[in-house]
Amino acid sequence: MVTAPAVVPRRTLRVLGTSITLLELIRRRAEADLGFAISFEVHNFVDCQRRAALEPAAYDIYDQCFHNMDIVWFWGSLQPVDTFRITDWDMLSGLTREGGINRYASRGHGDQPVRKLYVQPGEALGPAPSRYISMLPTVHNFDSFGYDPRVFGAVGPHRESWSWLLDPRARGRIAVVDEPGIGIFDVALAAEAAGEVKFADIGNMTVEEIDSLMRVLHQHRQQGYFRAIWRDGEEAASLVRNGQVAVQSMWSPVYGDLDETAQHFVEANPIEGWRAWHGGMSLARHLSGAALDMGYEYMNWWLSGWPGAVVARQGYYMSVLDRVREALSPAEWRYWYEGLPAEVDLPGPSGNIVVKAGARRTGGSYWDRASRIAVWNTAMDEHNYACRAWERFVRQVRGEGSS
Amino acid sequence: MNARSPQPPMQKRYELIAGVLRLNITTGKLPAGFVLVEGPIAELMQSSRAPVQAALRILEGENLIHRFAGRGFLVGPKGSGVPPIRQGIRDLDLQISVEIDEALQSRGTWELVYDRVEEQVASCLIFGEFRIVETELGDYLGVSRTVVRDVLSRLHERGLIRKNQSSHWIAGPLTAQMIREKLAVRAILEPAALRLAGAAINYTEVETLRVRLAAGEEIEGEILEAALMEHCIARTPNRELVGLIGNNQLLLTAANRALTGLGLPRDRVEHGEYRTLFDLLSRHLVDSAAEYLEGRLRILAEKSLARLKIVAIITQPADIAPFLTPK
Repeated sequence: MVTAPAVVPRRTLRVLGTSITLLELIRRRAEADLGFAISFEVHNFVDCQRRAALEPAAYDIYDQCFHNMDIVWFWGSLQPVDTFRITDWDMLSGLTREGGINRYASRGHGDQPVRKLYVQPGEALGPAPSRYISMLPTVHNFDSFGYDPRVFGAVGPHRESWSWLLDPRARGRIAVVDEPGIGIFDVALAAEAAGEVKFADIGNMTVEEIDSLMRVLHQHRQQGYFRAIWRDGEEAASLVRNGQVAVQSMWSPVYGDLDETAQHFVEANPIEGWRAWHGGMSLARHLSGAALDMGYEYMNWWLSGWPGAVVARQGYYMSVLDRVREALSPAEWRYWYEGLPAEVDLPGPSGNIVVKAGARRTGGSYWDRASRIAVWNTAMDEHNYACRAWERFVRQVRGEGSS
Repeated sequence: MNARSPQPPMQKRYELIAGVLRLNITTGKLPAGFVLVEGPIAELMQSSRAPVQAALRILEGENLIHRFAGRGFLVGPKGSGVPPIRQGIRDLDLQISVEIDEALQSRGTWELVYDRVEEQVASCLIFGEFRIVETELGDYLGVSRTVVRDVLSRLHERGLIRKNQSSHWIAGPLTAQMIREKLAVRAILEPAALRLAGAAINYTEVETLRVRLAAGEEIEGEILEAALMEHCIARTPNRELVGLIGNNQLLLTAANRALTGLGLPRDRVEHGEYRTLFDLLSRHLVDSAAEYLEGRLRILAEKSLARLKIVAIITQPADIAPFLTPK
């Protein structure tokens, strides 16, 4: 008689995050590679950070963005990540570890991840390197907006401007993303580019500047400029597919999800620069012993290359470039990271073709894009004030839409 | 102009309450293990809860009462291990001296409701801008328009509300800019006052606190801050300066209390900072202490801004008082 080998299942690792990285194919592969069960709990940005702060016992790993470290970290829900336990720590890009891909690249206004990365004496976060970090930097991107060239004309590179998000040509067919740490910067860049508002520091607006920005938004709202405020990629894609928008905030994966409407909706490379964001993973404060070990195993696995290749196929970059290069096909690497024309049709994460042969990524290579950051997603000093003003605006736009 | 003369300062009330409780603890009328709960004490003293809370914290700081697993405090020093006695405080027939009784009872009508209103206004500021309509406040409190106006002018005097261009009473919003500016003012005034206090500092009290902190005793930050104020900073001979410092702290204290009330974690490093501060003071190194205090207040500004950001994820709570109408 043959007895089955004794299998004592390890516990389940619970990951809280957003749809950016919590993909089912990643979860299944991680389970197979690591040998323990993993559960993903997916929320939108705002709900996710609220749950992370208020219910720290409900998750083990927090997979989110640096710009909400100010909230979740200071709530005391997380514990520092020990870089000595991150195998490939030395391979991480300088974008987060040093603040830029090289000394000359523009740093961008607002919450540069390096300023929230290192744990300082007294548990504050800051840019001075230390052994302990708040969040392991992983997935990131440089975002802009998408637009319909039939409305704005076919323009050359560096002619597209954030001001188009408030452009009369698109009146009634404009949408922005609803997250105060993100959407507010899309419209702030738009208002400044349109000459309506001037910020001393767009990454840290004063109360008066927020008030001015909101006045501009309300004027446009009253004139019927805004079609919608969307919460996730699914909603953003359906606005384009249904022909409801001529210009809107966009996330990379949405471009691969537009079907035949894709030809009439292109990614802008704005003259003002990109709005950047950086994701990462943090450890819940309650983790210890075996559960903490699993947390480190999972985080190290994320740096192993394969996960970075998956997210690359939806347009996201990964903090360990060399590992991702090993995991992508040469054609994929040249298109997604080097910004060269696609030699063949390229697949998205689930295998369907998202890039046609001959296409070129907007904005060029990783290094071109990372050198032109206008502003980072940010929780400004006046975040509380800005959020409440933003919520009023969103409520009013939604109220009009439903009436 | 407010026709009434300014009323006795707020701290008098919690000091009075602390005095009554202290007296009855030392005489044994309040036995060891007796459970002190805010509500019944407030009722007995005809006060709101805020001064009772403050009084209980003072007594805790004096190690006359201590926290336990249940709600409230137990009479007796920490670690005395006596079982809790749950009984109505009215049944004990506490000793309340005539003067204190009068001081507690003889307040004007507006004073009877003021603390409650101040607490409600202070806790809404972090949630944005609110309008207060006089008639609504009157209905809510069940008092006349005159009383309402007295309450509002007191709130105005203390910087908790303002009038906008259309002459409406407005509370909030508390912004990062206000916190930053008020903490910058603290960092200018308080070290200066400490230096001026010099020899007038109560070194006996400083030494007591130093010893207790060195022994690893957990004393709440709010108590340490109050002690530093009372025994050191406020000992400066310049009364004008003490007044400015007190006024400047009002809004910050109110906001801090509201934030802690939301369940925000306490500051884990401030304990060590106070240890250093009382250590320097006990060695009469006043300049060094003043410099350290200034540095601490600058760091506190950063921390306070971070705490305010956190509030953004909290939707406006349902228990905002009905006389406060959100903008």
